[in-house]
Formats: sequence, structure tokens, C-alpha cells
Amino acid sequence: MGLYTVKRLVAIVITLFMIITLTFFLMHSIPGGPFTGEKNVPEVVMKALNEKYHLDDPLWKQYVDYLKSVAQFDLGPSFKYEGMTVNELIKAGLPVSAKVGLFSIILILLVGIPIGIFAALYQNKWPDTLAMLLATLGVTIPSFVVGTILLYVFSLKLGWTPAYGIDQWQGYILPVVALSGYSLSFISRLTRSSMIEVFQQDYMRTARGKGLRTSKIIVKHGLRNGLIPVVTVVGPLIAAMLTGSFVIEKIFALPGIGRHFVQSITNRDYTTIMGITIFYAVILVVIIFIVDLIYGLIDPRIKLNKGTK
Amino acid sequence: MAKDSIENAMSQKRPVIDPSLWNQLLEIEKDEKSLSHISLTYSQDVWRRLRSNKGALFGLIIIIALILFALIGPLLTNHSYDDGTLTLSNIPPRYEIYKVNNEYFYLHKNLKLYLTEEDGSIIKMLEKDSEDLFKKQLIYAVGNGNLIIDYSTKNILTLIDENGTTFESYKNVANKTNLLGTDHLGRDLLTRIMYGARVSLLVAVVAALVNFVIGMMYGGIAGYFGGKVDNIMMRIVDIISIIPLTLYVILIMVVLNSGLLSIIIALGSVYWVDMARVVRGQMLSLKEEEFVYAAKTIGTKPLKIITTHLLPNAMGAIIVTLTMLIPSAIFTEAFMSFIGLGVTAPMASWGTLCNEALESIRSFSYQLFFPSIAICITMIAFNLMGDGLRDALDPKLRK
Repeated sequence: MGLYTVKRLVAIVITLFMIITLTFFLMHSIPGGPFTGEKNVPEVVMKALNEKYHLDDPLWKQYVDYLKSVAQFDLGPSFKYEGMTVNELIKAGLPVSAKVGLFSIILILLVGIPIGIFAALYQNKWPDTLAMLLATLGVTIPSFVVGTILLYVFSLKLGWTPAYGIDQWQGYILPVVALSGYSLSFISRLTRSSMIEVFQQDYMRTARGKGLRTSKIIVKHGLRNGLIPVVTVVGPLIAAMLTGSFVIEKIFALPGIGRHFVQSITNRDYTTIMGITIFYAVILVVIIFIVDLIYGLIDPRIKLNKGTK
Repeated sequence: MAKDSIENAMSQKRPVIDPSLWNQLLEIEKDEKSLSHISLTYSQDVWRRLRSNKGALFGLIIIIALILFALIGPLLTNHSYDDGTLTLSNIPPRYEIYKVNNEYFYLHKNLKLYLTEEDGSIIKMLEKDSEDLFKKQLIYAVGNGNLIIDYSTKNILTLIDENGTTFESYKNVANKTNLLGTDHLGRDLLTRIMYGARVSLLVAVVAALVNFVIGMMYGGIAGYFGGKVDNIMMRIVDIISIIPLTLYVILIMVVLNSGLLSIIIALGSVYWVDMARVVRGQMLSLKEEEFVYAAKTIGTKPLKIITTHLLPNAMGAIIVTLTMLIPSAIFTEAFMSFIGLGVTAPMASWGTLCNEALESIRSFSYQLFFPSIAICITMIAFNLMGDGLRDALDPKLRK
């Protein structure tokens, strides 16, 4: 376990280093500097700007400097938001994005998994068919379509929820539902198929044979085994929620990181694009690492230090 | 309740056999030919299984309809995707017309009055003759009288005559000029959706090709050679796929600037990683088969073994992965266009159509619904087709 953790940590550092390098050189391969788009910038001002942001340094020096500052968790200044650093942008957006994300995860776990169990119990009967039909729709319909339709129906037509902003708690409902739609459907489909498999196992028959309560059989024997495959998809789901947050925060005008990211793309704010990408990469890499460790803990059959081959 | 269902889920019911089946057959009923199985080739077998799957068949029909819609549709309309009539902007697919002295009028939300035919086709927009700012009325001289649009009450427009009598709407008609209405620049929405379908299908084809060429070769080489080559190549894939592919596509799009070509390049440069993984997995097991050893013995070059012996045998898994990747590529393009990184201005994509419509969602929601429905139907069709193909190609995977 110890050796495995160390190995994984080294791999994480290498991965992050590669991603930083890749984004850095991608962003610096854009023709023209970040200020070339500005109208009528006098030569002197341009020179001063370049000097201020060290843009006249040779590329390798900029790269080394950037690596150094990223290692100290400093993602540099934003080129378009005056006087703001990327760190400050992230700090401002994180509470909003994290809250919406957290509520979505809670919704996914509290609704998605029970739906899956329910469908598995009524396999091939109408509750199952209905649940799986909805889940298939949820997986296939893009989040931005779900978001806009929810916005139209519940905010504009029915007026039940505010159309934008999160000053009231009701403002969270639609973004959270829209953001979790895909993952919720995905989780419930996965839970269903893995529970169906578990129900056919011998130990389930044994548990029933010795007269345990149905609820206990489902929760203690069924769920514990049935949820193991679900844990593995946490990484991809978090990734789906990150990219989903770009459009959801745009549609519902939430001041989160995703919206800053989309805005920095439209503004061609290269340092912010770079910084937020790296921030996302760090979050994802860390989450996937934690999930892998947890996976080993909940399923003792998997030996982490024995290589993956 | 739950108890019954768990019993049901755990035990399979025994089939009931009709007792008459035990009776001996008459001599004439013994038709040996009908008992023997007609042998089918692999592709016939796949087609038979696919055909029996209603969802997959439905998906297939929708996809074919979509291809026809995208290829032939633009030839049939007399509108162009990039040129609109500004006077005809934001006209919905259905509207109410008023009948005044045997002439028909359509009163648009944006304080515009159109002269129409009885069946709903628009003849022209009328120019107002004067405006009474005090009474909040627009006055149109029509025939030998005046028609007045009254906008003094908030959110309610009424059409009245000189004496102040309100006209009741005559009937609700479908827009004959633009079947699905027009956008904010007066461009025909149906035509734009057709061109959007072209973009989506083009992206689908490109994603499929890239997967076929790069993904298959990459995975094939890594899997066949194994060892160090495999290790290095797969670590690269691991690093690429740790952050969402969408994020790479965004970064590449930022560098290349928006445009259809950029989308294709961006999708092409990262979308092969999943395919590479799948193909590698297949290679690892296939390369131990006898026919590979046989090919090696007679001195076949590794590249030839991969392309002619190994990849054709992995085709089932490859096609399944492909059908899963195509909708995700279509989705990524729509997503990019939605956040403003997709195709450039006059060109239409479903994502850009949704994005443009979002601004006027309150007044002209139809502009959002049609492209959204197009995306949903396409995604569902490709997914159903993909699921069906997976079951047909590999019945063992079926749950």
C-alpha cells in the first residue's frame, strides 16, 4: 500500500507537469501577444506592458518562471480583468461552483442510487422500464439543452424559481438538477445493472435462506457489493460535472469558475485559461487518486501493490 | 412489496410446456428441412440480431432520415442559411391573423404589422404611417381606413380600428413562408437547422475516421509490440485522458480560433484515445492466437500482421466503441458552439443556434426548441443504434 501510494504520487506529479507544459506551450503558440488585439496601443505602452508581464523574456525563461510560480500555487495575473490575479478569480468563483457541485453530488447519490436499486428490484416490469427510459434520456440529452428547457419551463413560464442568480435558495434548484442530470442517469443505470448481477449471487440466496429481513439483505449484502463498480466512475463523473458547469453557469448566470472560464475564452484571456485548466487538472488528478485508494479499501479483493496488469 | 420483487429478481420462472407437444408427430408433419438450421455468415447474423432490436432499428431509420435531411434538404428550400430578410425577423412558426375588410394581418410582438394571405404566407411588412406617442398607438393606413396597434397596456398588444373597436383574432395559421420561423436576422430556421445537421454529421464522420486511422493504429502498435513500447505509449494515453477531452478541445480551439476546420482538427487530435485503449486490449489477447504465430513464421512484417490479421478480428469491439464515440463527438461540437467556440458566424450549427436563441428565450422560445429537439433526436438515435450494435455484435455483453 505504501509503495503504491508513493508510486501514484510520483505519477501525479509527472502528469501535472506534462499538463502544465502542454497548456503553456499551447497558449504561447498563439500568434501575437495577449495585447496585440487592443486598438491603438502606442509602441511605448506595449513595451511597458510586455515588460511588466515579462513577455519580452525568452520563452524558456517564461516557462521556468511559470513552473516556479505554479509550484507555489500562484497562477499569475489575469490579462483582461484589471488588477485581478487568476488565484483571486478562482477564489471568487470556487464557493459558488463548489456549492452547486456538492448539491449535485448529494442529489446524484440520494436519487440516482435508489432509482437504480428500485429498477433492479422490479427488473423488466414497468417501474424498471420507466426508470431506464428516463435514464437513457438523461444520458443522451446534452446538459445545455436540459438547462435551457428547465429555465424556460420553471423560471419563465411557471415562475417557480428565479431565472438567474443565487441570492435565494430556490436559485440553486435548476442549476443543480441540470448539472446532475447526466451523472444521475448514468449512476442509476450502472447501479441497476450491478445490482441485478448481485441479486443472482449465491450469498444473496443464503442471506434469504437464513431468514434475514429484506431491507437488511438489500442494504448489507446487496448494496455493499453492488456499489463497488459505481465507485470507479466517480472520476469520469466529476469530469463531466466540471465541463457541465461551463454551460450551466452560463445559462443560469452563476458567478462560478466555469463562467469565468468561458468568459476568459471569449476574452482570449490566456493566463486565466491556462490557470483554470491547471486548477481543474489538479482537482481531477487528486480526486481520481483518492477514489483509487478508497476502491482498494472497500473491496479487499483488489490488491493495490500488485501492479495493475 | 419489496419482498416479492426480490424473490422475482432472484429466481427465474420455469417455462410451462403445453402437454399437446408431447404427442407424436404424424409422418407428413416430419419436415426435416424445416428443422435444420440455415447457416448464416457473421454479418448476416449481426444484421438479424440488429433487425430484431426495435430501438436500434428506430435509431437507424432516424440516422438515415437525418443524413437525407442534411444532404438533400438544403437543395429543396429556397432560403439560404446566411442571408435573411431583416423585415422578416423573429417570425414564429405559428401565429394569429386578423381579418380586416377581406385582408389578413399578422400583428408581431415587436410592434410590426404584416399583410398576409389567408393561408398564412406573409406578403409584406407594412410601414407605419404615424405614431401617437402620447396614446401609445401606431397608425397604419390600410385601404380607405386606418389600422391602429395599441400598446398602451403592458405586455398586451391589440389591433383596433379608428373607432376604437378591438379586432378579434381570425384564426391561428402556420407560417407558410418559413416553416419553422425565422431567427433574429430573418434567416429561415429550418434551413439553418439543415446546415447545422451537415456540421454535426461532418463532425461525426471525421471523428469516426480519426478513430479508425489514429486510434486503431496507435492501439494496434502498442498492443502488438507490448513491453516498453506499450508502456510508453499507454502512459501517454493515460496522461492525455486524465483531464476531460473537452478541455483539450477547448484549449486547441483557443489556439486555432473558431471555425469548422479548427473543430475538426481539435476533435481529431484527442478523440482517438479511447479507441486506442480498446484496440490495445483486443490486441493483447488476439496476438497470442495461432494464426498470428503462423503469419510470423512465414515472415510477415509486423505492420501487415496488425492490419490484415489482427485488426479485422477486433472489428466488433472497434465498431462498438465507434458508435459510442460518434454521439460524444457530435455533443462536443454542439457544446463548443454553445459556449462560443464553434463554427464562425454565418455558418449554423445546432450549438450556435441554441446559443443565439438563449438571448431571446423569453419572447421567441421556438428558436430554442427546434435546434434542441434536433440535438436530442440525433443523440438518442445514435445511442440507440450504438446499444443495438453492441448487443448484435457481441451478444455475450447483453444484460
